[in-house]
Amino acid sequence: MSSLPTGLVQAFEVAMGELGFASAAWLFVLEVAAHGGGALVRELRDAHGRTFPVLDAVASAWLQGQHGPTIEVEPVLSACAGVKRLLVVGLEADFLDVLLPRLAGTEIGLLRYSLVEVDWDRVQANYHGRAALIDMVNFQDFSGKNGAILTFLYSHSQHITHVRPSWLRLIGTDVRAQFRNIIGWDVLRRPLEVYPLWLVETMTHDFSDIV
Amino acid sequence: MSRPQLVLTMILIGAIVLQAMLPRLRLLIVTTAAGLSCLLSALLGTAKTPQLLAEVPWDVLVILIGLGLLSEVMVTSRLFGLLAVWSAEKSRASPRRVLLYFAVGLYAVSGLVNNLTALLLVLPVLLILLKLMGVDQRQTSWTLGVLLVACNLGGAATPIGDFPAILLLGRGSMSFSGYLVRAAPPTVLALVLILLVVLLVIRPDRGVIHNQLSENLSVAVIKKLYRNVRLDLGVLLPALFLLILMLVAWMFIPVSTGITPEVICWVGVAAALLFRPSLAERLLRTRVDFEAALFLLGLFLMVGAVRHTGLFADLASAIGKLPLAPWAQLVLFLILSGATTGLFSAGPSMAALLEVAETLARRFPPEVVYVGLALSVCAGSSLLLTAATSGPLLQTLTERAQLRDQHGVQVHFGFFHFLPVGLLSFAVIQAVAVLYVLLAAG
Repeated sequence: MSSLPTGLVQAFEVAMGELGFASAAWLFVLEVAAHGGGALVRELRDAHGRTFPVLDAVASAWLQGQHGPTIEVEPVLSACAGVKRLLVVGLEADFLDVLLPRLAGTEIGLLRYSLVEVDWDRVQANYHGRAALIDMVNFQDFSGKNGAILTFLYSHSQHITHVRPSWLRLIGTDVRAQFRNIIGWDVLRRPLEVYPLWLVETMTHDFSDIV
Repeated sequence: MSRPQLVLTMILIGAIVLQAMLPRLRLLIVTTAAGLSCLLSALLGTAKTPQLLAEVPWDVLVILIGLGLLSEVMVTSRLFGLLAVWSAEKSRASPRRVLLYFAVGLYAVSGLVNNLTALLLVLPVLLILLKLMGVDQRQTSWTLGVLLVACNLGGAATPIGDFPAILLLGRGSMSFSGYLVRAAPPTVLALVLILLVVLLVIRPDRGVIHNQLSENLSVAVIKKLYRNVRLDLGVLLPALFLLILMLVAWMFIPVSTGITPEVICWVGVAAALLFRPSLAERLLRTRVDFEAALFLLGLFLMVGAVRHTGLFADLASAIGKLPLAPWAQLVLFLILSGATTGLFSAGPSMAALLEVAETLARRFPPEVVYVGLALSVCAGSSLLLTAATSGPLLQTLTERAQLRDQHGVQVHFGFFHFLPVGLLSFAVIQAVAVLYVLLAAG
């Protein structure tokens, strides 16, 4: 009999909405590993990897010896050099927690849009006033020659990139032209091995910087 | 029954029944009926509208609005959300401990802020926790049901926790400390009894398969969701300081000085708001509970119109003429009060029943009558989901959260899910109320 809890899917759905796919996946994989080691992580991947492809990728990474997310913030800071306003599309708690304190002097906006339920006030409270909540109707306040957009990528190749659906709600030819930088931060750094449920494909060349 | 008594009582009862049946239109129903009561009182010659308006206990409305604003200030400090996270961590996501910790926590919080605010503050954390735990229907019904009852008991424990007690304080029926000393112990006793029965006899977690990994994951996710959320001491400390000052003033400044409870509340809350002027202005413009104030204003006007017909005095006199021992008459009144509240909810019932209680208070020790009434109203509020002010809110928030059990089946919380909890709680709290009256009246 499996020692994975039967309510794990619901629990992961709660976490992934507000923490982000990758941050939630690492949280779950590390807890599962602490409880049952590699065998249980493998069971987690086999049982739920197809439902949550990022969880699948993270579990595989753990099994191959990676024991935490790789958060390289310097390339992102380089891409943000000179940027006065940064609009973040999508949430990845582990990554934003490291990035935002390093962007002193830059106005940060979090696009308030998600396909799953998110308590945005709680999200904002975690950043102590460093990030404002921005709706689709006023995101253009961040545009201009000093404005940039950043989103999280869940693997990328030369041509194709996987992103959250909210990215496609925002980005278009007209929007691209209004921002100085369109930055994609690959938080997975490995190809997805299963069908990219919850994610959508977009063109890699849409981004001015991929880090 | 005279014609004015019949007509104005019909309007009062009709409005109370209609607003209970059509809660979405309750404000419209009550304000319309109040206007009609004023008109008919004038036409039937029992009272004129300026007289009815002058007799509205404005002090009670001031205290309700003032305490509501103070609660909002505390909300912005994130105190209660963080307390809920602390409870989630300490309970280690065990179903039994979650029920126990949150019930005790909500009891304590409800003593200081109104039930709606208390639930709104704590419920988001609890619902996430229940979602993460994947609890089943039985566990959910009993956990949420007991929390609602704990809210009611906390509200009845202090003179500022809920409307019935605020009414007693505002009208000068009881002093702050007089109420606190007499009401808090019976509510603690009722809470302990309910928790003992639920945790040891009913055992809502019976049949739930405990999974250590599930509990660890639940706590880990909750902690991560609140990983950097900090208490805003700049907001919290002045508000807490002023609340303590208000409590001290309520306890030690005699009403005979003219510094009455509503003045203490008004000045105290204003002082607390002055510490954060921008926040205060925003709260004053957007967060004052005008809905509750208007609803109660309508009720007070209708009850005032009926009072001028002499009906409440007649009712109290009728109770006194029953062929029962005096203590049995009082017990009968309390049980009827509990049942009436179960049907019509606390606000309308208390506003009307207090008129009868004031007459009974001339024959029995007043504090026994008033505290017995407050406990009975609390029992009635806990009987049905629709009787508690916060019941419909709890139902809405729970349904919106779309809880599912470990097998993915959606879990609900509605009238019939609450009913077993309500029947148990009504029986326990009403029994404690009767016991209190019998012991206190000697």
